[in-house]
Amino acid sequence: MTTTLTPAKVRIEFNDAVVRAFMLAAIVWGAVGMLAGVLVASQLAFHAMNFDTSWFTFGRLRPLHTNAAIFAFVGNMMFAGIYHSSQRLLKQRLPSDFLAWVHFWGWQLIIVAAAITLPMGLTRSKEYAELIWPINALVVVIWVIFAVNFFWTIARRNEPTLYVALWFYIATIITVAMLYIVNHLQIPTSWTHSYPIFGGAQDALVQWWYGHNAVAFFLTTPILGIMYYYMPKAAERPVYSYRLSIVHFWSLVFIYIWAGPHHLLNTALPSWLQSLGMVFSLMLWAPSWGGMLNGLLTLRGAWDKLRTDPVLKFFAAGVTFYGMSTFEGPLMAIKSVNALSHYTDWTIGHVHAGTLGWNGFMAAGMFYWLAPRLWKTQLYSVRMADIHFWTGMVGILLYIASMWVSGISQGLMLNAVSPDGVLVYPNFVEVVTSAHAMMVTRMIGGALYLAGWVLMIYNLTRTIWGTQAVNGVIEVAAPEHETPSLSFAATFFNAPVLYSAALVVFSCIWMFGGSVGFLIALPGLILTVITALVHFETSGSTWGQWYERLLASWVPFAVLTFIAVALGGAIQIIPTLTLERTTAIDGIHQKLYTPLELYGRDLYIREGCYLCHSQMIRPFVSESMRYGDPSKLGESMYDYPFQWGSKRTGPDLARVGVKYDDLWHYRHMLNPRSTSPGSIMPNYPWLFTQNSDYSVLPNRIHVQQMLGVPFPKQTPEEIVAAARKQAEEISTSLQGKGVQAIPDREIIALIAYLKQLGQFEKVAPTKK
Amino acid sequence: MQKSKVEPVDPLREHVYDGIQEYDNRLPNWWLWTFYGAIIFTVAYWFYYHQAGMDQPNEVILARAKAEVTARAASLSKGPLTDDQLWSLSLDPATVAAGRLTFVSTCASCHGDNLEGKIGPNLTDQRWIHGGNPAQIVQTVTTGVAAKGMPAWGPLLGAKRVNEVVAFVLSYHKKGEPMVIDPTATATGKP
Repeated sequence: MTTTLTPAKVRIEFNDAVVRAFMLAAIVWGAVGMLAGVLVASQLAFHAMNFDTSWFTFGRLRPLHTNAAIFAFVGNMMFAGIYHSSQRLLKQRLPSDFLAWVHFWGWQLIIVAAAITLPMGLTRSKEYAELIWPINALVVVIWVIFAVNFFWTIARRNEPTLYVALWFYIATIITVAMLYIVNHLQIPTSWTHSYPIFGGAQDALVQWWYGHNAVAFFLTTPILGIMYYYMPKAAERPVYSYRLSIVHFWSLVFIYIWAGPHHLLNTALPSWLQSLGMVFSLMLWAPSWGGMLNGLLTLRGAWDKLRTDPVLKFFAAGVTFYGMSTFEGPLMAIKSVNALSHYTDWTIGHVHAGTLGWNGFMAAGMFYWLAPRLWKTQLYSVRMADIHFWTGMVGILLYIASMWVSGISQGLMLNAVSPDGVLVYPNFVEVVTSAHAMMVTRMIGGALYLAGWVLMIYNLTRTIWGTQAVNGVIEVAAPEHETPSLSFAATFFNAPVLYSAALVVFSCIWMFGGSVGFLIALPGLILTVITALVHFETSGSTWGQWYERLLASWVPFAVLTFIAVALGGAIQIIPTLTLERTTAIDGIHQKLYTPLELYGRDLYIREGCYLCHSQMIRPFVSESMRYGDPSKLGESMYDYPFQWGSKRTGPDLARVGVKYDDLWHYRHMLNPRSTSPGSIMPNYPWLFTQNSDYSVLPNRIHVQQMLGVPFPKQTPEEIVAAARKQAEEISTSLQGKGVQAIPDREIIALIAYLKQLGQFEKVAPTKK
Repeated sequence: MQKSKVEPVDPLREHVYDGIQEYDNRLPNWWLWTFYGAIIFTVAYWFYYHQAGMDQPNEVILARAKAEVTARAASLSKGPLTDDQLWSLSLDPATVAAGRLTFVSTCASCHGDNLEGKIGPNLTDQRWIHGGNPAQIVQTVTTGVAAKGMPAWGPLLGAKRVNEVVAFVLSYHKKGEPMVIDPTATATGKP
């Protein structure tokens, strides 16, 4: 290797065709997802909008809306942004066009499959993880294809080091894979049905570890990466601070993972997990704002462009909404605030500040920036983009303001206890009807936002109509010499990594080591912090040099990222899995479901009841008066999947079984307003005409036995016969009350399940 | 529109990524202190709840809160009303009107708008399943009859509203009218 000639320049044409495809898909699916959102909002405002039609009811369309918005809209937008910016930041074309197109069409196939199966009621009932197992498998395959193409581009890059946008993309790809796979571990009972391998509290913890971090690593980190590329591009200004990007990237990816249990505050979840969920949410505030600062401060010297450039307008507002919702999030994760806000519309407003404000506006900014460049033309109308911006902005503000009002009202009304010791609003439905005006306002806000989106579709269509698609081209010289990758030792044995590891180890010793652990951990923590600070003072520059070398070594970078994101989940989930499942946790055992009750439970899941009804009574005076004693862990130990819920559009159902009789449920499901005047719950007439198919039961019970539920040994015939017999009994009881109820109808199984809710046996608690 | 450089002193990093440059500004102090503050709070919070033993089981917290509510309520209550007091309340238009409001929103879905009985029994006739004396009715409303699907309304409505609603029911009856106790009467009224 003695040649020192200037290397020949190579001409590289980027694969921008797949970028255009993803961008157009995102625009179309965005409209679909938002339309579904406006539709479900209208169902909450006017229950007649459910049209007494099974596949059109709220419980089936709401997952369609969330999945469309997250995976179809933001997913396609993210892929467009990642493929477009990565090729340029790495000075390399995607290695495989074939894989890129398999990724594109595979993802669209997943979306179409979701759009068909969810309205059919085929669901796993875990929020943002509802899709049935064959689609889950397809998602994993397509995600791996995406990862291969992405990391392959990195491996063949013509740019020695990795820009900050790529750090966020790497974290996204690795973490989403980890979260998705663990939360979708399941055993099929048929081609369309499965049970998750976790149950009860364990399922709840895994689900919200996933659910919270789907927000983090699907809706946040990729968009931060996109911000780091398109914001300085559009502003034509340097990024504010490289070192801020280092600190906020690593703190964000490490801390985010721990915060999942804040979705389960004040529940039966062990309190150490709740505490972790709360304090890590608070610690997340600054790292999140680090991203906002680096975005907004990049605009220094370019603020005047905000008046004229719609792209920057959308970016600046999007980043501001990001800052607002990442302040609101930690606030709502404070246990006492959460006591008010949880289960209410406040949460709904919070997530929409994120999705409409941050994701939607960042997407719009990116599309307005990309379209003229990918088709080499001018934006058709800047004025129209301005109108889109202000329509969308008013829409978001109406949305979140109405949800603040209704959410905080719900929290206050439901928790209100009068001086003479009773509930001020004993009827749940009073709270529902009082929110009607806010439901209508929210619907209007959402519709305005959608109207802005439609304007953008028109604007971009006119922009690219009749123009020629062009692909980006660069000329690069092959790198003069390969930067050597960091060795194993150099990756791990260096000051920043070792100090971080010491802090994590001492923290774990404190958490799990009792008083002895505390005595070891506290001096350890203090010593580590002081040593690290002193060391940084004297030789911080070598830390910086190490990091520069890390940026030239993508495998060590990806490995460290994986460790950072894996730690939080492992430390929370693994100890929880060892909770004694078959012995009593807190002196209470859930009563085993009968075959008919299990069948009814699967109907409850099919209809999406968990989207509006929780099964988790919190330890508050108001809740114990309204719903009964606080829920305990043992009460849901056989629930695969758990049904604790996350929202109370209707009342909690954890103990509803002892409250009403079968006739009440029969009438209520046929027309909720006959028993609860003012209710906004849909009618479920199809449950009264469709027959139960008990033949699926033996397989379902068999799978639950494999999962450790101690169902008695029964032959398939005995199982079906038991279901039939119980259905006969309920039907006879109903007939005695003057209703012609046919035993095989689905409503009978659902009543069996509802009547059973809140049944448990007391057992001797196991000594630990 | 070319503006002059705003901060020529900001240190720019050497490397340029696809035309993107990076400053290397110091982290804002208020940002750092927000982060440090949250970390310090975390350590203190953990120490307080999980080291110093201030973390109490849900049952204990709830029991204490319940005791407070009960004590406050007891200081306001004048004890259960007698049959005579309830009968005289049933003649008080304001009490009956208040009771009617509670009845319509809480009871009518099962007992009918005119007390004629739907899912629950007729309340206008002289046949009673659980006793028709005013105090007995108060008892039935307060504790409910779980086996027959009558919820316990006492904890939800409170003594005052239970008394009002019973007064409203009594306004359909006369003191001293004949009464049949019939535990086997069907729950569904036949209007």
